[in-house]
Amino acid sequence: MDPQDEKPRAGSLFLDERDRPPSSRLRDEVEDKAEHAATVLDELLALLDIDADVDIREDDERIVLDISGPEAKHAIGRKGQTIDALQFILNKIVNQDPDEERRYVVVDSGDFRARRDHGLEARAREEAKRALTEGKVVTLEPMNPRDRRVIHLSLAKLPGITTESSGHGARRRVQIIPSTKKR
Amino acid sequence: MDDRKRLIEYIARSLVDDPDAVGVEVIDEGRSVVYELSVAPDDLGKVIGRDGRTARAMRALLAAAARRGDKRGVLEILE
Repeated sequence: MDPQDEKPRAGSLFLDERDRPPSSRLRDEVEDKAEHAATVLDELLALLDIDADVDIREDDERIVLDISGPEAKHAIGRKGQTIDALQFILNKIVNQDPDEERRYVVVDSGDFRARRDHGLEARAREEAKRALTEGKVVTLEPMNPRDRRVIHLSLAKLPGITTESSGHGARRRVQIIPSTKKR
Repeated sequence: MDDRKRLIEYIARSLVDDPDAVGVEVIDEGRSVVYELSVAPDDLGKVIGRDGRTARAMRALLAAAARRGDKRGVLEILE
């Protein structure tokens, strides 16, 4: 930690930008980044010839961009491949300046991400049950880090199994391991 | 102009340090169209990404940009 952070702040006058409370400085930066991300997403959708609108849904820790409109489903694509690619590229573009703090950009459309998470959780429970009843390790298909995280978290408190990720890069998969493995 | 060419150009220019060096050659190969992307040597990593993830995302968007009747689009990155 920076030792300067430990100095008492009481009574300080915000004479210049650096003296403003970090929270409000951060807010400006996040807002700029959210605007930038929304502009780039608008442009990408136009280039994809998809008639849809982009709204900034919330900008707390993450920036969530919401795609709506008549052709929003084209922006999602089969199995969410298009919206995931848009999100990946957008994060690369918006977070490339090493001097700025990174902000994770989520691209969503309505409740698409929530529905997909629920689907993943249901799937995780089902496969965990299978691992338990068969006493065998169940290996899921390769997933991105976020989806793997959803699986790990949803099974974290389930007794009798543990979860692990194995494999590298795009081939990384979650394994559900019963504690009473039959060998 | 070809929308898919503009898409690849836009993404590549947004990712690299040297946008002026970005070029996209369109080669009609009959059944498919090849989009040959060239960037400054120092920017290659930026358009390919770790484990090729950026290139994969660009390919997904190239596929999403195809409309009925379009030929299959293939992205090639020149090294």
